[in-house]
Amino acid sequence: MTILQAEQLTKQVSVSGRPLQILDDVNLTLQRGDSLAIVGASGSGKSTLLGLLAGLDLPSSGRVTLAGEALSTLDEDRRAALRERYVGFVFQSFQLLPSLTALENVALPLELRGTANAERLAADFLQRVGLDQRLHHYPRQLSGGEQQRVALARAFACAPQILFADEPTGNLDTVTGTAVHELLFALNQEQGTTLVLVTHEQSLAARCEKTLTLAAGRVVA
Amino acid sequence: MTALAVKLLWRSWRSGALQLVAGALVLAVAVVTSVALLADRVQLALTEQSATFLAADLVVRGPQSPPQQWQQWSAQQQLRSSRTASFNSMVYAGEEMHLAAVKAVDSGYPLRGEVVVSQQPFSQLASDWQPRQSGPEPGQVWVDARLLPLLNVEIGDTIELGATQLQISQVVVTEPDRGGSFSLFGARVLMHYQDLGAAAVIQPGSRVNYRFLVAGEAAAVAAFNDRVATDLAQRQDQHWQVITPDGAEASIADTVDRGRKFLLLAGSVGVILAGVALALASRQFADGQLAQVALLKCWGLRAAQIRRFYTVQIALLALLGTALGLLAGWLFHSLLLAAVADFLPAQLPPPGPRPWLIGLATGVLTLIGFALPALWHLPALSALAVLRAEIKGQPLTWLARVALALAITLVLLYSYSGSAWITVGMVVTLALLALLIGSLALLMLWALRRAGNRSGGVWRMATANLWRQRLQSQLQMLGFAAAIALLLVMTVVRGSLIEEWRWQLADDAPNHFLVNVAPYEIAPVNALLAERNLVAGDWFSMVRGRLIEINGAPPPADLKERHESLNRELNLSWSATLPENNQLVAGEWWSQQPLAAEAPVPMSIEVELAAELGLVLGDRVTFSLGGLRFEAELVNTRALRWESMTPNFYFLFPEGVLEEFPRSGITSLHIPAAEKRVINDLLRRYPTIVAIELDKVIAQIQSVVNQVTQGLQLMTAMILLCGVLILYAGVALSMPLRQQQSALLRTLGSSRGRVLRLQTIEFALLGAVAGTVAALAAELSLAIIVRQLFDGAAQIHPWLWLLGPVGGALVVALLGVSYSARSVGVPPLQLLRQLP
Repeated sequence: MTILQAEQLTKQVSVSGRPLQILDDVNLTLQRGDSLAIVGASGSGKSTLLGLLAGLDLPSSGRVTLAGEALSTLDEDRRAALRERYVGFVFQSFQLLPSLTALENVALPLELRGTANAERLAADFLQRVGLDQRLHHYPRQLSGGEQQRVALARAFACAPQILFADEPTGNLDTVTGTAVHELLFALNQEQGTTLVLVTHEQSLAARCEKTLTLAAGRVVA
Repeated sequence: MTALAVKLLWRSWRSGALQLVAGALVLAVAVVTSVALLADRVQLALTEQSATFLAADLVVRGPQSPPQQWQQWSAQQQLRSSRTASFNSMVYAGEEMHLAAVKAVDSGYPLRGEVVVSQQPFSQLASDWQPRQSGPEPGQVWVDARLLPLLNVEIGDTIELGATQLQISQVVVTEPDRGGSFSLFGARVLMHYQDLGAAAVIQPGSRVNYRFLVAGEAAAVAAFNDRVATDLAQRQDQHWQVITPDGAEASIADTVDRGRKFLLLAGSVGVILAGVALALASRQFADGQLAQVALLKCWGLRAAQIRRFYTVQIALLALLGTALGLLAGWLFHSLLLAAVADFLPAQLPPPGPRPWLIGLATGVLTLIGFALPALWHLPALSALAVLRAEIKGQPLTWLARVALALAITLVLLYSYSGSAWITVGMVVTLALLALLIGSLALLMLWALRRAGNRSGGVWRMATANLWRQRLQSQLQMLGFAAAIALLLVMTVVRGSLIEEWRWQLADDAPNHFLVNVAPYEIAPVNALLAERNLVAGDWFSMVRGRLIEINGAPPPADLKERHESLNRELNLSWSATLPENNQLVAGEWWSQQPLAAEAPVPMSIEVELAAELGLVLGDRVTFSLGGLRFEAELVNTRALRWESMTPNFYFLFPEGVLEEFPRSGITSLHIPAAEKRVINDLLRRYPTIVAIELDKVIAQIQSVVNQVTQGLQLMTAMILLCGVLILYAGVALSMPLRQQQSALLRTLGSSRGRVLRLQTIEFALLGAVAGTVAALAAELSLAIIVRQLFDGAAQIHPWLWLLGPVGGALVVALLGVSYSARSVGVPPLQLLRQLP
């Protein structure tokens, strides 16, 4: 069953009054449970594509269909509602709120959805990522790897049907990065989540079922 | 959603992100509330004090015995009431006689204040004085000490007043409603109202000033006032005049009014400082919220939900912060009151509801005006910001923020001061500050950068830092300069006010007038005064005359009934030049040239009297001077400074036109208490001279001024403290970036001392630039305020230009370094990890 489809996707922005083509004619289709790695050099348009696929931004032309809904026909609020229902995120810079503890960071999206026992569920997920001793620590008291594990727990706690990950191990050393990869794919398999990740790392890309290579905004492989 | 908003608000508070915002809000409300409470209670005390000058809360004055129903109406309102009757009458003792200023009072008198009496004539010792809450008993009189030598009598002797004999039982030292009225020509004789009938001195046609006094609850007094006003209007009776404490005495009312204006100015400064603090703190809070909002949007929260989310948080913050601020305001004002307990009346009246409402409005409105604009753009932030850190949303434009802050400031200041002028004055000052800081600060930063490049070392780094972060530096300077400028303005305004009072009430200020001195008496009077080492001021000549026609016709009957100046002789004087303490309002002062034979005689009239008589420039007025007609044309109007305690004249003419008419002299002089008996010698030798004693009135004013001045000094200290807190908030806001730099520099090998030195120079330069700009802004504001509020002339204050930059540099450096010194001691790695 197709969960995500991009057709003839382009993104053009204006820089100093001149048009700049960031993405050009990108097409892809993902079935539920697939995993896709978007790779390419810096500035090739990886993060822009991720933003378009997740409905965080709109393309200049082309069409993105997420969970059967064409994103360009939806207004911002309806795209937000779609994200709430289907989408999870993991970011390179973790994006943990510094004023909240690890437990509160994981519980926050659950609380937003009105999930009962949000903190208990959050504590369960933190235990599964090996941070049961760090529940009440603030992000500044955690290492980079620990912060990303909190971010993974937060993403998977909401049981998203599709997870977008932007350079999830880009800020981590190799050993820690590998540990995070393992966790990411383990949770992915466990929950049957569709995975779309942007990465520079070939080893991480190799673990995905599909790879899409971008160069100057065009799909080259 | 509401519960989550509350939960996140608590989490923000716990993390410290909200504490600066909440602190600024509590501070804003506390400062405003405490100032308002203090101002309200001091104002009420002043009004009560003013009431003692009236001996009542309200007086109705007229030429007839007050209608009986007023007594009933006042009783219905549960007001206390009293009646007095004042008139001039001869009093006799053996062969001696004197035209005394008699006042008959009933048993209720005085309703406010007290009559001070003594058994020791002329004693200036307070221990000899006895305050009384009543007047003399029937059959007795209390008299001025100077009447005793005039009539050659002692306490216990009797005097004749009309058909009755009354015993002198006390000497009057002061009476609350004596005032400085020029009608006090003779020595005071205070008698009981009940003795008026037996004395039979009041006959049809007698000129008597009756007063009906009431006192009680403000609402009841107002209701009585309305009822009397309606009654008088219905009967078209224009003989009665209602006097309230505010209008009791022109000079006292002026003093009270200036005190009130200063208190309100102090409060206004508090409002603006608090607003600046809140704006700075909110900006930092909003910056910290960007990541949270981006995440919330990523997770599917819609803009409207996020707006509601923050609305709940702001409302809760407003509620809690305001409540805490009101409480803190009450505590702070109680502390202030305790500190000045010796200088204030023992029992200050409780505050009304206004200070609390002002505090509440301040909390809500400052949040809307200063915090909300900083958060306004958050709901519209793109979810894409989670991927791109450079996306910060589109904050409200600079113009929109300033406009909203200005609008709220206007509303707040107006609600606080009730004065459009203070409101506009303060806002203009603020706008000038913003303009000045925007341009001058940037210019000075550029100059510093150039100078720093040549200096090298830490100076170079410090000036480069300031220039690199020039936008942030400018924002910092806005806070610093505003606080410094306002503090400078406060200091000068407070000084001006006290100086003005000191001048008005200087130890050697004139406290007596000598009136009706014949031209041939002036030299011997001067000689007599010189024997006692006393010096009279300038002598002014005056001619007595009645105003009989305006533009060739008698004054209209209603005007004549209404205005007492048309029913008595007026004092006309002359001067070649515009007298000191007079200000020309309309027309031109006459030239020194002799008048042409056929030209009308020019005339100058006091501006308010001219308006009351309906006179405009060019009108012709005819006087009767000893039966001779004398016509003059109104060519200019003047404003007078009554509080100058020197002779002032409603009517002035050029030299050479009035000298031929019978004239007398008037002067003012200072007579120390020890030389008071000189008045008796003067009056014995020259019985036609009238001595007007103002020393007791001045003593009353001085007691009020002393109390108010002490209160003002403390209030200024409180505003100073508030300004320092604002400076601290500004320094705290810039700390994350400074800490980041500090960590990097230390990682790269700079010593702690060097980093500290760098930060000291940065803060000091920031403070010095802000102080310089503040000095300029303060000068401009003062030029407006001193001119408009205190009728003074604008002048340069050189010390501002020293105190501003030096004080600014020292204070900001001290605050900045004391704050940043802690972070310099932390290992660089830990510091870097703490930074966002």
